[in-house]
Amino acid sequence: MKFLTNIAPAQTLTMVAFVMTFGLPSTAEAQPERVLVPSGSFHSVMPEVKGEPIAVNSFYMDITAVTNEQFAEFVAENKQWQRSEVPAIFANKDYLAHWPGSSPDIESLGGNRPVTHVSWFAANAYCQWVGGRLPTLNEWEYSAQLMDFESQQEARQFTARLMSWYSNVDTKNSAAVGSTGIETIHGVKDQFGLIMEWVQDFKPPVADNLSLDCGTVGRMQRLGNTYSYAASIRYITRMSYIPTSTTATMGFRCAYDATQKMETENPAQ
Amino acid sequence: MKTLPFILLTLACAMSLNAQHLHNGDNTLSAGKVNSEHSIYHLDAQWTDHQGDTYSLRNFSGEPVIVVMFYGNCTQVCPILIKDAWQLYSSIEKSIRDSVNVLAVTFDTKNDTPEVLRDYAEYEQLNIPNWHFMTSESANVRSLAMMLGVQYTKKSDGHFAHTNLVTVLDKQGRIAKRIEGLNQPMEKTAEEIKSIMANGMQQ
Repeated sequence: MKFLTNIAPAQTLTMVAFVMTFGLPSTAEAQPERVLVPSGSFHSVMPEVKGEPIAVNSFYMDITAVTNEQFAEFVAENKQWQRSEVPAIFANKDYLAHWPGSSPDIESLGGNRPVTHVSWFAANAYCQWVGGRLPTLNEWEYSAQLMDFESQQEARQFTARLMSWYSNVDTKNSAAVGSTGIETIHGVKDQFGLIMEWVQDFKPPVADNLSLDCGTVGRMQRLGNTYSYAASIRYITRMSYIPTSTTATMGFRCAYDATQKMETENPAQ
Repeated sequence: MKTLPFILLTLACAMSLNAQHLHNGDNTLSAGKVNSEHSIYHLDAQWTDHQGDTYSLRNFSGEPVIVVMFYGNCTQVCPILIKDAWQLYSSIEKSIRDSVNVLAVTFDTKNDTPEVLRDYAEYEQLNIPNWHFMTSESANVRSLAMMLGVQYTKKSDGHFAHTNLVTVLDKQGRIAKRIEGLNQPMEKTAEEIKSIMANGMQQ
């Protein structure tokens, strides 16, 4: 049974989580494993398409967020993305501010911590470098709500935890990727509970009769649960960013077109 | 910084943010804020035009450039947007027009191949020197759009909701002028392009 999400249960329960690893191209050693998120639809909290679910095609998504170590490899190979080199048009001053120099101090940071202090441009360039792209907002949100709970009580506990996390993100002591225990039915981990994440189109279109003021959250389509309130917080937070923003809470993971991956998997090619 | 999302939420409440709205229920998104101090030529990407020629944006430095973002299957708004770019281009004094390049960049990297773009250019009677109907990897198109403050989002029917914006870049590739909305008057902007041309060391 699904308690939190608003996708038709029959549809999601028959989906099979489909995990794959890939033979990696030489430039993409930093690539983590990824999973297929099968196509489906979901109800966004955005009000412009009332009642109409948003359709999402199949795509692959990284299981976990990109780590400092992985991002360091990218920066080492692409000097223009070093803190000292990056043009101001691509990142604010806080870009990679938590690294002492051109690479992270893993001993003090801890290994496998999600990279933050990265702008949208840097995240976009990284994903391009590993042969992928940033997930679209709809892909990210669609994946995020593909969760399943044993009982109503478990679902309620989760939303309570979620709200507490959104109100109290600890930027000083982020945990390792994959450590939150939060996982979708397809195996995507930590979409909540670790960091906020960049998406390709992080400012979604807003209907004309809405403005980004206090009332927006209230006017967002309520899906009748706390989960949708948490989603509203995400939408509002994203809208307050600009593509050069580099905050301590914002990291990212990459996505990949499903068709594109089918081609690379075919050994005959 | 511990309560960042809520702080931002409060900020969003306190400020009038530059939101992108869907006007009149159609597919128009308003333009986002941009950084006009720095050159967009920092974007290190390869572009292919409708002639099959490849460029980096930097190749257009040294002269003013008109940029417009559109997609080929857009039959209602985009032809007007392209016509607006033409309106601006043709309002520029003849003697300097040859120095101005026009870049029409597609959002639809899947459908708008260089061949499709060439057909489009021919259909619009704009397969002419200095006009480049361009495509690139979608991540590059998205980066350029972010720099220009062009919002776009693909809808499930394959069409795009997008900002209608004509941008003028100065000789260094910085944003000199933005004209938002369709059918805007272009004479003043044409004059400004003339002064960009005249001003050799525009800083």
